[in-house]
Amino acid sequence: MGFLSVVANGLSMGAIYGLIALGLTLIFGIMKIINFAQGALLMLSMMISYWLWAATGLSPYILIIIVAPIMFVVGYLCERVLIKPVLDEQKDVREPVSVLLLTAALAIVLENLALMVFGADYVMAKTSFSDVTIAFGPVMVSAARFYGLMIALVVAGLFYLFLMYSQTGRNLRATGQDRNAASLMGIDITKTYAIAFGIGTALLAVAAVALIPFYYVHPSVGQVFMTKAFIVVVLGGLGSVPGALLGGIIIGLIESIAAQYMTATLTVILVYAVFLLVLFVKPSGIFGSPYEW
Amino acid sequence: MTGININKNSVILAVLVVLLLLLPMAVTKPYYLHVIIICLLWAYLASSWNIIGGFAGQLSLGHGIYTAIGAYITVILFNTFGLSPWLGLFVGGGAAILLSLVIGYPTFGLRGAYYALATVAISEGIVVLLNNTGSIGRFTVGGAEGLIVKMVGNSAVAFQFNSKIPYYYIVLIMVFLIIFVAKWLKESKLGYYLVALREDEDAAAAMGINVRRNKLIAGAISAFFTALGGVFYAMLIRYLEPNAIAGAGMSTQMVFLAIVGGSGTVLGPVIGGILLALISEIIRFYLGGQLMGLHLFIYGMIVLLMIIYQPRGIIELFEKIGQRFSRKHNDEGGRSGAEDPSGA
Repeated sequence: MGFLSVVANGLSMGAIYGLIALGLTLIFGIMKIINFAQGALLMLSMMISYWLWAATGLSPYILIIIVAPIMFVVGYLCERVLIKPVLDEQKDVREPVSVLLLTAALAIVLENLALMVFGADYVMAKTSFSDVTIAFGPVMVSAARFYGLMIALVVAGLFYLFLMYSQTGRNLRATGQDRNAASLMGIDITKTYAIAFGIGTALLAVAAVALIPFYYVHPSVGQVFMTKAFIVVVLGGLGSVPGALLGGIIIGLIESIAAQYMTATLTVILVYAVFLLVLFVKPSGIFGSPYEW
Repeated sequence: MTGININKNSVILAVLVVLLLLLPMAVTKPYYLHVIIICLLWAYLASSWNIIGGFAGQLSLGHGIYTAIGAYITVILFNTFGLSPWLGLFVGGGAAILLSLVIGYPTFGLRGAYYALATVAISEGIVVLLNNTGSIGRFTVGGAEGLIVKMVGNSAVAFQFNSKIPYYYIVLIMVFLIIFVAKWLKESKLGYYLVALREDEDAAAAMGINVRRNKLIAGAISAFFTALGGVFYAMLIRYLEPNAIAGAGMSTQMVFLAIVGGSGTVLGPVIGGILLALISEIIRFYLGGQLMGLHLFIYGMIVLLMIIYQPRGIIELFEKIGQRFSRKHNDEGGRSGAEDPSGA
């Protein structure tokens, strides 16, 4: 594989990492909660997408319009039913640790629920383009990954515009900056939190749909992406939207380029090494403010 | 506190200690004793985590690396040089302190969430390293196959016993030790510094508390005792598997137990550790062989519901019962309502 093709593959995977990290960083930026169920919710999205694909035979990408709303509702309800009561209890605490543990427990519940319902099998949506490779001059990239990259970039762009220019987006940002001031300006904080969690989860649905044509789904698939999403948000700066995407692409590129020169294990270790290096040199990440958290 | 109250508490304590000391006579089946040992070990580990996670409020989600470093170094020194684990544990504990300082120095400069994420990533990285390191020079690490503790038969020096009873007494002493350390720490100057920086870092710094230094000290104490737990685990199970001793399961379990029990209190993590580990073992015993994932699903649900309905930990329930008990006592005379609300 030519070097440019390697870069293209890294970009596509990195953009999807970015998308997953985007949800994580959004939820953290606004609610100050690290969502440990992010990986499990990704797995849930992938499972739903896969079974809808298997049942309907539609192109996985069309399924976004079904899966994203489903996951939005799932996220919205998770916040309302599970997180809100605990958050209310800990109103005076700056960093709601119990909520974090709650999401970790939710991850255990979801993963084992999936294990009970779907079993431990590895499944993948074998679409007509799963084995197709597209060539742009010397650059060869698998079709599924290329479409995934496009979807991730478009959705991230749309999300950015939504956050910057829509009223809901402004509410979200205002709440992230100062919860009390936003509340005084007439923003319904309770609703905004639930929306933030819902959107953070819906972004996972997009990542899931982009992933299933070339990535195996199984109950613990979320854990793989979870740790990477953590690394990505720390790299990019916790709470930073452009940072999440950029961090994702950096990790994707490191993985694919390093894999050309070293074993898979060393590649994984290299990713952690880069992460540690950033942590030591600029702990707040690329776009993070050192005074923010 | 009045004399009556102290007497009452110390009587309860004395009865409890005697019961615990006599327990192996009542529990004769090795399996049951093993379960009790495991519960006590979890209580110990949750309490060790509590020093940095509860008292200092720094959410470490990678404490598995400390159990791992303690266990691996002790076992490697024992397997290679025949160094007694009783001495090896100091090397392992010392290495854990060093590791905690190396990790803590850059990360403690930042606020909680960052520290939490960093600990997750670092511990995952170390699991990958352990899984892929067969040996370093002449030291066998074992890689993904795991590391077996060299068997020498029944030998106190080698920390190997044929019976479960010595393990029970050792872990019991460890639990008492960590309770003592936690109680001492909570009432020490350092303990007050930690509470101050947990509640408001800026205010603590403004009061002249060296925030990073105190976090590092708490982190080092916590890492040392966690490493001792790892050594005990290694000598009890006699087999080290990277994912089991260093993985996310080990790390998050400590946090779960401490928080469900009541983090930041002296006895909360002990109670949480014993109760939750016991529930977990019971569910595994009865449901483990059935539908895949069922017992962990139920376990997750229990933790979930406990966090929602009892967010301040099980310790709060015990306190309420204790208060009601002492209020009843109050009517008969003696001012005993002034019990320590923190459950110390």
